[in-house]
Amino acid sequence: MTALITQAVILGILLGGLYALLAAGLTLYFGVMRVVMIAHSAFLILAAYLAWAFNRATGIDPLFSLVATVPLFFLLGVVMQRFLLSRLKPATLTMMSVLLTFAIALIIEGMLGFVWTGTQRRISLSYSTASLEVFGANIAVVKLVAFGLAAVSLLALYLLMKATSFGQALRATIQHKEAAALLGIDTEKVAGYGFGLGLATAAIGGTALALDSTIYPSLHWHWIGPLMAIIVVGGLGSIPGAAIAALVLGLSQSLLQIPLGTTWAQTVFYLALFITLMVRPQGFFGGRLAQRF
Amino acid sequence: MPNASDLATPTPTAPATGRPDDSAGERFDRRLGLAKAGLGVVAIVLALMVPWLAPDAFILSVAVVIASYAAFAVGWNFVGGFTGYISLGHASYSGLGGYAVALLTTHTGINPWVALVLGAVVVALLAVPIGIASLRVRGASFVIVSIALVLILLLVFQSWASVTGGSEGLRVPRPFDSSVLRPEQHTRFYFLFLVLIGIALLVWWLIDRSQFGAGLKAIREDEDKAEALGVPTFRYKLVVFVISAFFTSLAGGLYALWFGNLDPVFQFSILTGSYMVLMSLFGGIRSLVGPVVGAVVVGYAMEVFKAQYGDSQFHLVALGLLLAVVVLFMPEGVVPALLGLVHRLRPAATSIREESAAELLERNRAIDAERRANNEASTEREAVDDPRHATTGKGRS
Amino acid sequence: MSVQQDVRPSLQTEGLSKAFGGVQAVNGATVTFHEGKVNALIGPNGSGKSTFFNIVTGMIAPDSGTVRFRGQDITRRAPHRICAAGIGRSFQLCRTFPRMTVLENLLVAVRPAGLSQLVGSSQNRRQVERARELLRRVGIDHLEGSLAQDISYGQQKLLELAGVLMGEPGTILLDEPAGGVNPALIGRIGTLVKELNAEGRTFIIVEHNMDMVMSLSDHIVVFDRGAPIAEGTPSEVQQDPRVLEAYLGV
Repeated sequence: MTALITQAVILGILLGGLYALLAAGLTLYFGVMRVVMIAHSAFLILAAYLAWAFNRATGIDPLFSLVATVPLFFLLGVVMQRFLLSRLKPATLTMMSVLLTFAIALIIEGMLGFVWTGTQRRISLSYSTASLEVFGANIAVVKLVAFGLAAVSLLALYLLMKATSFGQALRATIQHKEAAALLGIDTEKVAGYGFGLGLATAAIGGTALALDSTIYPSLHWHWIGPLMAIIVVGGLGSIPGAAIAALVLGLSQSLLQIPLGTTWAQTVFYLALFITLMVRPQGFFGGRLAQRF
Repeated sequence: MPNASDLATPTPTAPATGRPDDSAGERFDRRLGLAKAGLGVVAIVLALMVPWLAPDAFILSVAVVIASYAAFAVGWNFVGGFTGYISLGHASYSGLGGYAVALLTTHTGINPWVALVLGAVVVALLAVPIGIASLRVRGASFVIVSIALVLILLLVFQSWASVTGGSEGLRVPRPFDSSVLRPEQHTRFYFLFLVLIGIALLVWWLIDRSQFGAGLKAIREDEDKAEALGVPTFRYKLVVFVISAFFTSLAGGLYALWFGNLDPVFQFSILTGSYMVLMSLFGGIRSLVGPVVGAVVVGYAMEVFKAQYGDSQFHLVALGLLLAVVVLFMPEGVVPALLGLVHRLRPAATSIREESAAELLERNRAIDAERRANNEASTEREAVDDPRHATTGKGRS
Repeated sequence: MSVQQDVRPSLQTEGLSKAFGGVQAVNGATVTFHEGKVNALIGPNGSGKSTFFNIVTGMIAPDSGTVRFRGQDITRRAPHRICAAGIGRSFQLCRTFPRMTVLENLLVAVRPAGLSQLVGSSQNRRQVERARELLRRVGIDHLEGSLAQDISYGQQKLLELAGVLMGEPGTILLDEPAGGVNPALIGRIGTLVKELNAEGRTFIIVEHNMDMVMSLSDHIVVFDRGAPIAEGTPSEVQQDPRVLEAYLGV
């Protein structure tokens, strides 16, 4: 029993790491643009497909696909912000951006199905079945690799935000766009890069996901719900809040799977979302951003 | 035409009140009103004749599907149109409505029509806590909850197979006995949907002209401002949200009675919810008939598309592209866009169609000046007509 | 000149504070505004005046402190309830409902009780008459059918004021009424404020235009770094060394 719980805790933390990275991306979009980016998880699945296709075509480890997908997704994010989202009227931006990114999610899902059919896909690697024993629990190596990838990326993002002047501009834009503009920050440009960064997290997350999961085009719907619950619980716009909520909820999900099974354990996200909105609508770790949204 | 209302340049004040000598314009308005009424009558007569115009039972069933789309869109538009809050998860309420009818009739044996209304009341009650959770803060949380709700309901209804039948599906007892043949069933349900749409539109219209409606529209335009003017925004949003859930649920229940079988994948589908949004948006969420027009046009196009290419992945791409185009280029919808076009044909405007924007501005200034000259309080009026975005002087805190 | 002993408190705050991130926007502000007077709230940019306004009207919840109106605690009440208590406000960058007509903009502020708001028409004849009366009063009655987005900025300012008056507030908060409008209109708004004040309405005005502030107000509160540093009549405030210091940034 203890081994089972230890295993659940470790798996929960590993899953939470991936959630945290992806939720950080969602938070970035919301922070810089006040956009709820529904297509985030669709891009996640797209990246997973790209990693899978890269591996199938070349036989090289899918991790190397990151060299291409991360810059590509960054660029896509910048382009999306500049040519699509910034075209929307500010007054109705929140609502219309939801619809626009929803539309993009549908297009991606449809294209994935069109190009690679709806068949379930899975990468098989030399180390796919290998596992390590940690505190008496069996943990698949691919899960550790995926977590490592997510953790390193989150750390890099954190350093970027805290230590660079671009990060400073980004944080200023997230906290108060008008004030940042008054300080001479080109907030439009920063918003574009913020969007690019957000999408880059989807590229990394997708590759990590492809390592140990079976993928199919409509899989993104299973991700967007939990991710959105995480950013609300964490307080919209707060990256540390999102990371903490991601770990807590990932862990809860993993532990609840023992008594409840996979399906019902997923409801923990929605329950947390509902309770948060009832008790503390600004989220548990949120700053002032969340108050009016 | 992209965002005509979005131009930063000052729109020259159109003499909307009409100048006294503008009889041509007034005549045009009268004719336009007549044309609208005529068009409405023709549309209603055509809609009533569909069962006799349809060549076969299949086309008739398509008509029922489109009518159900219209009923869903009108139900959605109570919250979407009045408050501007976009729900992507209204499939929750249509799906719950369907299951409510099915479960009530099978387990209690009550009359299916009573079950339909009772089920919708239950769903409306369920919408209260959901609304309380999602409407206390602004739009973003509302959208997130709306999507999350569909996903969680899908999860629950698939897993809870002992009650819902899970993926095996749940049979809905037929309200008409088996002596009523299939085409006749279609006809009856078609008219039932028309009645439901009619009632929903009537309620929409009543709200639209009420004080409640004025408050809701103010929320859509500027929620902070509405609050400061004393509109109880939360309560208003909640009430209209529950009304919306009620009508959507009725439509879902009626659909379930017609279709006869429920599967969670289709009942709680994100796509069903997005149809409602697309159709309403396409037609124009701020107008009474917009969602109906949108449902007929988009619904028809989608049925044709499905018939041509099957229910393939292409269908998703087409849906996504259409939604993106509507959001980017005509967020106001086609009905307002067409009305705008017609208004441009108005005689008062026709005569100046060749003028440049600057000339137009000049002309309006002249009209203003003339009006001012006729006014005793001329000096005061002048003060009012300063150019927009005058220098703002000192910075602001 | 206001006579000090007949001062009745209108809006009072005690120890009001609000921080955004690391910035203390309002910092323990204790202020009393006088009933029946034109009060002004002035201060350099970023001194927390707008945040103060937003807290008082319920738009932002304070971190600590209380707000009282005519002795009643209204801290953290929803904005519409504060409005119902008799406080009306305008916004810094004038805000109207762009896609509603001028007349409709006013009718939003009508509050019939109970079920009649659900079924009764918003175009209630008595209310429409009252709305037209107000539009005439601010001088934009000829525009009642136009959409608010189609009228000029100055006209929108007047429309906003008329909308506030529609709710019959006893106390009116104006956030930069002279901001972005031409001198002739500033004069006109000043006259309106004086007239309305003479009818018994209390005003609290945030304004940068010192000519307007000095000529209109009976009582001035000077804000710096989120708290009052001086108050008094225009002449008293003008001679206060702390005020000069705050403004000149010595």
